[in-house]
Amino acid sequence: MSALILTSVLGVILLYLGLFGGKKLLAPVGILGLLGAIALFVMDKQYINIPQFANMLSFDAMGISFSIGLLVITILIFIFGIDYYANEEKNVAEQFALMIFSVTGALMMVSYTNLLSLFLGIEILSIPLYILAGGKRNSMRSGEASFKYFLLGSFSSAFLLMGIALIYGVAASFELPKVMAMAATSGTNILFLLGCFFVIVGMTFKVAAVPFHFWSPDVYEGAPTLVTTFMATVVKMAAFAALFRFVTMIGMPAAVGKALLLIAIVTLLVGNITALRQSHFKRLMAYSSIAHSGFLLMAILSNSANTPSVLFYYTFTYALATVGLFIVFTVAKRAANGDEHIRIFRGLFRSQPWIGVMLLVMMLSLAGIPPFAGFFAKVNVFMLALGAGQIGLTVFAVVMALVGIYYYAVVVREAFTASENEPALVVAPTNWLVISLCGIAVLVLGVMPGWLL
Amino acid sequence: MNDVITAIRTVPLEHYVVLSFILFSIGMAGVLFRRNTIIILMCLELMFNSVNLLLTAFSAHHSDPSGQVFVFFIMLVAAAEVTVGLAILVMMKRNVDSVDINQLNRLKW
Repeated sequence: MSALILTSVLGVILLYLGLFGGKKLLAPVGILGLLGAIALFVMDKQYINIPQFANMLSFDAMGISFSIGLLVITILIFIFGIDYYANEEKNVAEQFALMIFSVTGALMMVSYTNLLSLFLGIEILSIPLYILAGGKRNSMRSGEASFKYFLLGSFSSAFLLMGIALIYGVAASFELPKVMAMAATSGTNILFLLGCFFVIVGMTFKVAAVPFHFWSPDVYEGAPTLVTTFMATVVKMAAFAALFRFVTMIGMPAAVGKALLLIAIVTLLVGNITALRQSHFKRLMAYSSIAHSGFLLMAILSNSANTPSVLFYYTFTYALATVGLFIVFTVAKRAANGDEHIRIFRGLFRSQPWIGVMLLVMMLSLAGIPPFAGFFAKVNVFMLALGAGQIGLTVFAVVMALVGIYYYAVVVREAFTASENEPALVVAPTNWLVISLCGIAVLVLGVMPGWLL
Repeated sequence: MNDVITAIRTVPLEHYVVLSFILFSIGMAGVLFRRNTIIILMCLELMFNSVNLLLTAFSAHHSDPSGQVFVFFIMLVAAAEVTVGLAILVMMKRNVDSVDINQLNRLKW
């Protein structure tokens, strides 16, 4: 698929641009290249459902919609990057290039048809992120976040590899169709089940589901905000698409289904309850992302024909709202001299009414309040779970969604409270553009869910 | 080449599975309990290599080359990962002047 080649080459081009001092051109060239990749995905109809690269990848309907979604979110993050890296002199090209490489891995993860390309996709996604998380070289916190992410990331890849090796031992092949055929005939083989468990442990590390979530609040807090945005959105989307492909492939043996159900319940509980006592905005977003993982795992559990589109709608609208919120956070953080407590939002509505309204829209969408997109995303997930007969789980998830409204409301309350000393918020035009785009998109997709579903 | 494969096949498959599980567990215990980050990196390598052993054994017993090809990819990725890991370690060493994992306690709730 030419889009994948384009993104790989694009990263190298950005590195050369940085070498020859074209710092101003970095983001525009990157955005143009990503737009080109989207165009290739839309135009190249002859590749759909035909295995590419020696049966390694196959772009089916789900793969293409996720790929386009990932590229759109990356473009938004690049526009954010124009302002974020404006005052940085060194190593800007490397950061943009690493993000492009990471997206290339994400594109592989959403369309793999071979366990080898799953492994390579996850590693191509992760290794640049380890470096990006340590982007602030003199910051102790950034280094610590980077090392923690690296350590737990490679630990989880070792589990993933062990699982793949065990599945290979039973199926004698890495190709998904062959593994699928084998799972249908001898799905209760103990080595095969063990392999599935190992792979699922490896992947739940990446999606930050409880009990494999400890890294995410620390890494979200320590990494530069732009990288945190990237991790919360692109990585999440890609990891869930990959997990869904894997679960459909192994045909969900009963034992694996039970394990996933347990993980979903614990994730919903711990994510929402722990988020209640967070006052640090990035950690709050980390726990919110863990809680959203719980809802997404519910969608994966139900495993029906609608699941891919529901998963895409949920992750895409979640990513849009998260990108917008992190940009609002960066703006407020600058005005507050680097403070990251949620009190920095105080007086936001008074000094920048439009940004305040957008913050309200995106927060309510994450909380799942109609008519915003987050509400329909959650409703769709609940409908799927009910369709699969998971009544108890659905009731529990609804309660947890109600609990979740509280911590989003706390941030909104801060933003709409007047403060005695008005914060001097400076919103760069590019940031204003992305915040407005995200907010409006969340509202429009909420009113017109049919456009994505 | 065939001699090697027949030599691998003379040992029953279960022995390879058990051995690589033991190696994997040693590596896992090392990552979880050792405090020196260099040793943790070595234990990660051990985990990857236990998988390599398992893949090679399965590959020889199935007479299927793709398992051995996978091993090359794992070696490649492990090398890339350790390169990045050591670079991060050097950066950390410059900041806190220690390779003890207990230094990593600034970020917590």
